[in-house]
Amino acid sequence: MFNFKFNSILDAIFMQSSNGQYHGLYVWSVVLIVLLSIAITFLVYKVQIKNIGKKIK
Amino acid sequence: MIKKFIHQFASPKTYLFQVDRAYPYIFYTSLSIYLGALFWGLFLTSEDFVQGNSYRIIYLHVPASFISQSLYLAMAFASAIFLIWKVKLSAYLVRSIAPIGAVTTFIALVSGAIWGIPTWGTWWAWDARIISTLILFIMYLGLISLHDSFTDNEKADKFLAILVIVGSVNIPIIKMSVEWWSTLHQTASITVTEKPAIDPSMLYPLFGSIIGFTGIVVCLVILSSKLQILKREKNKSWVKDYV
Repeated sequence: MFNFKFNSILDAIFMQSSNGQYHGLYVWSVVLIVLLSIAITFLVYKVQIKNIGKKIK
Repeated sequence: MIKKFIHQFASPKTYLFQVDRAYPYIFYTSLSIYLGALFWGLFLTSEDFVQGNSYRIIYLHVPASFISQSLYLAMAFASAIFLIWKVKLSAYLVRSIAPIGAVTTFIALVSGAIWGIPTWGTWWAWDARIISTLILFIMYLGLISLHDSFTDNEKADKFLAILVIVGSVNIPIIKMSVEWWSTLHQTASITVTEKPAIDPSMLYPLFGSIIGFTGIVVCLVILSSKLQILKREKNKSWVKDYV
């Protein structure tokens, strides 16, 4: 259950499936979009809280 | 008695001090669970027999979809509390959850569209599940715009609460859309009443990603509500001491 399912890092990047198609582009673009969306949302709120804190002070 | 209890423990001040204490624990625990589950799902599970490796998008798409609907239900619940017991913290929470709901619904829509390319051969279809989720996204944006268009916050809170409750009819539609209509989107693989249709080796990291993502979203809601409280209570003396 806990074995690495790809032979190399390149295999994990391209994610070639048994039907021959490469799915890495789809999977990694979703990973990027999700992590970026979360990180940007955190950043926006942190900055806004900092700014309003300064105004209140 | 319930009213007294709620008003005592749901004051913005008490809430802010309590969530500030809990925030780092929730954040680091959920981030570890989420990243661990993603690593497990992306690298340690076998490829799907039908979808190949593209199925790994499930570990990002399903948590976002689940949370986007759950957040709306949380908004409806908070709206009901606000309308019944006039708890202003509930009104702040309704306004705070809306942008986070919009972000998670955006993630669900985009990840679903990208998943659709290798699986369905198209990134978009006029399918009941996709359309009802798009409506949810538009509703989140509409609710934010509506609230911000008012100059009187109290009126805005009331309108928002009523609209959120009316709009909650969309949630069962999203959930049941794959059962009621013939759709490209598959039916639910995990239900409360039946055995999951997914192999346990794929299911455990999925649960992990849902739990981790939920915790991360809770942290975002905490930040969003903190901002809302600071904006709305900025003239109170305790806020000046707090910042």
